[in-house]
Amino acid sequence: MKANETAVDQFDAEALKELRPENQLGKTALVLAAVCVSAWFSNLVNGAPLLDALPGMLILYAMVIIGLVIGRLCPFYLPSVAWVSLISILATLPVFPGNGWIIARLAEVDFLAVVTPVLAYAGLALTGREFSMFKQTGWKLILVALLVFTGTFIGSAVVAHIML
Amino acid sequence: MDLKLLLDWRLHLLVIVTSMFAEWIGILRMPLGPGTLLLLPLLYAFVIGVLFNPHLFSGMGNIIPKPVSHAAGPVILIAILPFIAKFGSTIGPAIEQIIAAGPALILQELGNLGTMLLALPFAVLVLKMGREAVGATYSIAREPNIAIISDRYGLRSPEGVGIMGVYVVGTMFGTLYFALMAGYIASLDILDIRALAMACGVGSGSMVAACSAALAEAVPASRDELLAFAGASNLLTYATGLYISLFIALPITEWMYKRLKGNSHVEARHES
Repeated sequence: MKANETAVDQFDAEALKELRPENQLGKTALVLAAVCVSAWFSNLVNGAPLLDALPGMLILYAMVIIGLVIGRLCPFYLPSVAWVSLISILATLPVFPGNGWIIARLAEVDFLAVVTPVLAYAGLALTGREFSMFKQTGWKLILVALLVFTGTFIGSAVVAHIML
Repeated sequence: MDLKLLLDWRLHLLVIVTSMFAEWIGILRMPLGPGTLLLLPLLYAFVIGVLFNPHLFSGMGNIIPKPVSHAAGPVILIAILPFIAKFGSTIGPAIEQIIAAGPALILQELGNLGTMLLALPFAVLVLKMGREAVGATYSIAREPNIAIISDRYGLRSPEGVGIMGVYVVGTMFGTLYFALMAGYIASLDILDIRALAMACGVGSGSMVAACSAALAEAVPASRDELLAFAGASNLLTYATGLYISLFIALPITEWMYKRLKGNSHVEARHES
């Protein structure tokens, strides 16, 4: 029983730490460089040659770092993804100086190619705990989770469809 | 987490090889009933990743040792960020269209309530789940929703177990499921494709990615517009979704749970 609880404790602590990449900026900057290299190579197949995509990848890297730094310094909490997204929106707004150049460089980076390595990391990251959860009682939660996803997606789509 | 493990060259090299192979296979289309299933490179990348996972096949420990596999967990959250940045860059140029669609974008957040209409009765009445069902079905179980449950009930409560279960399923399969579902529903051609793009925004970063990428493949002509709508919707999910799930979704879930539990007690008594 006790071993079980510590495992849960660790999981909670890890989950919470994982949720805040902006808390360890130095480490994040290095890991971010590594994952950008993965995305850069992934982009080689259906996107653009390495040199053509380099400026775009560097822009993405810079946007993420700026977003994380703001998330770190900001007095109220917003998830780092929200900050990164805001930075990127601002930099590509028609009023932003040089937005045309930024958009053209980013066009060399394929949308899907950037997300392919993320899923490869995800497949490698699954732990024994997750595999065993699915072997035992997981099927109920899987069913419920798939219904949750379907319900949310269709619910939102129907509301948006009516409003458009 | 140890930096050496996070930067382990075997992990990143394997990911590069896997991704390039997955990209090389490319997008496959499978007709299914009235619609089409879109298989994207990210699906193959995930499957190959799982096949190399040392926790599933211990022999793979020679290529990727278990500690390195653990390190890949935090790496995911960082790996999604460049993608989020790429995603945001589709919103800026389309800002005028997004403002024009403003009311639809904001109100579609209420569609999140569809979650409990479908999933909660099933969990309580069919699967006979207890309080776990409240945590599992009140929201789509992303980080802000977990924060709410952990605040209200604690993560080790039944509600906490419920939401963490859905969270884990979402992390593992959510991305793939969203891609398959969105591509399929788009191919049925019932709902406005822009409405589907907004609905993609309800998920986590990678869910939104896969979902809107699948839509963009289904209707390549409006690719940029679709990505922009999904991105804007996702941003609003973070901005307003938290309040909707706290002040509307959670109280309604609690109320419905009591109703459903009440009914099932009555039924059980009839049976005995």
